[in-house]
Amino acid sequence: MPQQEDNLTSADSATAEGAVEKRRQELEQEINRLKRFSNRGLWACSTFLIVCMLAWRGFPLLPLPDLIIASLGAPPPPNVISMVLLLYTFSAIILSLSRLMGNIEHKSSFSHVGYLTGFFLFYHIAKALDDNYWAVFGAGITILGVESYRIWSFCSEQITVVSEQLAYISRTGRLPLEEPNSAQLP
Amino acid sequence: MFKSLAGRALIPVGLAVTGFVVVCFFLLYAAIKNIVTRDSISHAANLADTVLKSTHYAMLKSDRETLGSIIHNISEQKGVEHIRIFNKSGMVNASSRPEEIGRQVDKRSEGCINCHQSSVPSTRLGTMEQARRYSNSSGIDVMAITVPIYNEPQCSNAACHVHLPSQKVLGTLDIGLSQTVTVATLASIRNQMFIFTIMVLVVTIGGVTALLRRNVFLPMQKLEELTEKAETGKELPSVPSRLPRELDRIAKSYYNLNQKLHRTEQELSAAHGIGTTPATADSSR
Repeated sequence: MPQQEDNLTSADSATAEGAVEKRRQELEQEINRLKRFSNRGLWACSTFLIVCMLAWRGFPLLPLPDLIIASLGAPPPPNVISMVLLLYTFSAIILSLSRLMGNIEHKSSFSHVGYLTGFFLFYHIAKALDDNYWAVFGAGITILGVESYRIWSFCSEQITVVSEQLAYISRTGRLPLEEPNSAQLP
Repeated sequence: MFKSLAGRALIPVGLAVTGFVVVCFFLLYAAIKNIVTRDSISHAANLADTVLKSTHYAMLKSDRETLGSIIHNISEQKGVEHIRIFNKSGMVNASSRPEEIGRQVDKRSEGCINCHQSSVPSTRLGTMEQARRYSNSSGIDVMAITVPIYNEPQCSNAACHVHLPSQKVLGTLDIGLSQTVTVATLASIRNQMFIFTIMVLVVTIGGVTALLRRNVFLPMQKLEELTEKAETGKELPSVPSRLPRELDRIAKSYYNLNQKLHRTEQELSAAHGIGTTPATADSSR
């Protein structure tokens, strides 16, 4: 009987060690994922700058606005596009600041690049890109700047939490206690 | 900077406010420029209409001397760069610059292409499509407008020179107005808006910074000093005054905790002192 108990105890400790090792690997993977994710805003900014360069050159790869109008119809007037751009910028900034306040992980940067490219294209087809280029550029830099900061600060905070858990495992060899606000972690 | 409370509080707000105000500046300036340009085109169209009405009788009578005189007098007006009347084939029939009379203009050139881009030229264009902008040889920005001279019953029925009733357009009037005043006005508006934007940014960001410093950062600094004093092991002299309610509660709790710790330490050392005296006495025996 005592030998059987010893066997059980050693099996339990092996299972626990396996769980700890698994958890350690998960946390290391999570740190790597967060490090990659923290660069997402910068990638989005880079993509936006490439789109800006194309817009500055008048979208050389696209057909002329008159051909697009002939096939798709007339675009909205520039003042309507400007109103929508203003509303979009306001909403995007408020949404981004709300996510920053709530410490929410959200992968929205590249969708903003898509929306901003849409504004560039609408102005291009409406032949009003020259007058409104800097407005779209400013809106893009602001929205993507706030988004990049939000993603970066979220990742920094989460990396600190995960690193503390990793340090706890290394120090004690036991599973760390789950924090109430670490629900987003694996 | 990014890790401090001031950085975390001010960077997103500063970035968002600055960016939004800058976007508003560009959009508002583009809208104002659009309005000013429309006004300018409308002014040019009205002037072109005035020229057409003034020269109508002279053209009907084919009185080239009167026509030239009217065009010369109108072109003397400040801001008028040129006035030309083309016939159907694109030849200059009358102009404010006599050397241009009799010259042929290319129908593919800017100002003509809008109507002549297809094999059958368009006879109707909106006011905005009739206008074009360019810099002339003297480097002056010019807003030119080309308006068609339509055939009328008086023209086709006139005995002097006959136009077929089926001919819709007899020629065009091209009038160019200097944009120097408009460009200067736009530059003035842009400068004023720029100064206004900078002032709004300074007031907004300065106001937020001042309020945060007054209500958050300075009280936090006092709290930090309190904890640093406590760390040295000395008894805290007093609770910092005039803190916001939440920070005041934290400071008082910390102060009370520190006081209790000191009392306990004193009691412990006293008890230890009492406890050790007999033992010392015992050992001395």
